[in-house]
Amino acid sequence: MRSKFNLYITEYAINSLLRQKYKTFFIFLVLSALIFLLSSLFFITNSIKHELYSTLDSLPEITIQKIKAGRQDEIDIAVVDDILQMSGVQSAVARVWGYYYFENAGVNFTLVGIEEYEEQHKESLKGVAELLDFDGSSMMVGEGVKRVMDESYYKEYFNFIKPEGTLKRVHIGGTFEGDTELESNDVIVMSKKNIREIFGIDETKATDIVAKVANPNEIATIASKIKLMYPDARVVTKDDLKISYQNIFDYKSGVFLALFIVSLFTFFIIIYDKASGLSSEEKREIGILKALGWRVDDVLKEKFYEGFVVSFFSYMTGTILALFFVYVLRAPLMQNIFVGYSQLKTSFNLPFVLDVQTMALIFFLSVPIYIAATIIPAWRSATLEADEVIR
Amino acid sequence: MIKLKDVVKEYTANNADTVTALKKISLEIKEGEFVVLRGASGSGKSTVLSLIAALSKPTSGEVEVDGDKISKLADNFASEYRRHNIGFVFQKYNLISTLSVKENIILPLVPMNLSQKEIEERLLRVLKMFHIEHKANQLVKNLSGGEQQRVAIARANINNPKIILADEPTANLDEKLSLHLIEMLKELKAEGKTIVVATHDPLFFGLSFADKEIELHHGSML
Repeated sequence: MRSKFNLYITEYAINSLLRQKYKTFFIFLVLSALIFLLSSLFFITNSIKHELYSTLDSLPEITIQKIKAGRQDEIDIAVVDDILQMSGVQSAVARVWGYYYFENAGVNFTLVGIEEYEEQHKESLKGVAELLDFDGSSMMVGEGVKRVMDESYYKEYFNFIKPEGTLKRVHIGGTFEGDTELESNDVIVMSKKNIREIFGIDETKATDIVAKVANPNEIATIASKIKLMYPDARVVTKDDLKISYQNIFDYKSGVFLALFIVSLFTFFIIIYDKASGLSSEEKREIGILKALGWRVDDVLKEKFYEGFVVSFFSYMTGTILALFFVYVLRAPLMQNIFVGYSQLKTSFNLPFVLDVQTMALIFFLSVPIYIAATIIPAWRSATLEADEVIR
Repeated sequence: MIKLKDVVKEYTANNADTVTALKKISLEIKEGEFVVLRGASGSGKSTVLSLIAALSKPTSGEVEVDGDKISKLADNFASEYRRHNIGFVFQKYNLISTLSVKENIILPLVPMNLSQKEIEERLLRVLKMFHIEHKANQLVKNLSGGEQQRVAIARANINNPKIILADEPTANLDEKLSLHLIEMLKELKAEGKTIVVATHDPLFFGLSFADKEIELHHGSML
């Protein structure tokens, strides 16, 4: 019994593509390049969105900073006790941290100080606190930080330059994984004592204070109460930070959107060109096939296979290359659009986020549209009288 | 039996002028007959073949083959009809130049989804019949005019049709090759096939094995 699937038509379609190998290869290249560009944009956007949402989740509910002459200054630790007195406040922690510029590599590290018995305001820091040697002079570093230090031959320890110009040697106790790639790429955790020494922060002072509120609905009220108590303080809530992060992300997304539109536009120009008509040679071939007893649906099947082979292989090539480009090569050039201040940050690995919906979206934006653009002009020719086409 | 009843065929040219290719033509061709359609260029010979092959539809009138009104067939049924009944040898051969001889010949079989064995048997039969076995794997664009014509006839016979239609089959051949082609057509007639040749080549006139000669002039039968 013969199978319903006609292998000969598939074979004819593949031969037909091979007969026009230069044209086929050119279309394959252009389609693959566009799919690669689109996929890369989607993958980077997804990864950064994932990173953004993880960052937002880990933000403190209320942050209190001391402002002096419009600039952030060290805040008195005593403020913590005042805040803890306020009803609704679950906890308040004075944070000692700061950015340390490592000139050799041209990057900024974020130095975060913790205490052994203090409640950690971040989940990721809880694990680090268990590993850190609080008595000695050691630190835990993010994987990205370790990489940068290794490159500068700081494999066992790192020398921080203190404000008065002397060196503070701190041993690398180990690496940790942050909640986000961004976090683990530039964060160094050590005891508050060491941080104070490196930044020259007095025992009575802190960089800022973060507070937790039992009822999320009261965050805004408590923030305004703190502001009333300390008019010289900047009180930032999680929502304020979210808006500010989202604004930066949206702004950067605009650049990607422009690239996205350009690639889509190019794709549709190709599609329009393909859909607008066949060459006289292609029309004649369809006419001959019809004259030899091919039905319209045989011609359309053949064209479907042609379109499918080209577009599906372009899709596979484009997406696989994009995965390699984004997650193995770390999206050189493109990533910098988002992580624009990379000169001051340690390099950043995009987290691998494979979203089936995105893959499906790219598939439906490319494969069926290309197939349709192949079939429609063929259908137009195939439905004409064969005599008219081959005469 | 092929019957054309009061067939009129008009073409609309690009400038919207209507050209009447056939003016109320009626004719009958019996099964197994060899018929020569004579006439100058533009007399309507090719149009008659095109209508018999259901490659086009008459503006009015009817075309019947074995009692079936093929002029009324929907496009897909017309294709099926050609696939099983018609072998067409075109004036310009209408081969696909980038395909090999055997790929061109088996084209009518592709949509039939036959077994590989059956395709090979049929292919071998026509390759032998028209003496082109040795050229089977060559691209048709590299063949001479006579060889291309033989490929076209082989292709027209691969589906073992009842009716062979040949449109100016000797137009691009020298006398020797033309005579050879006429011999091949004679052999096909001997196999019982109905053959209709549209030609203005005098070599076809007065053939002893031809059953009928029909002369057309400006779309009318003389």
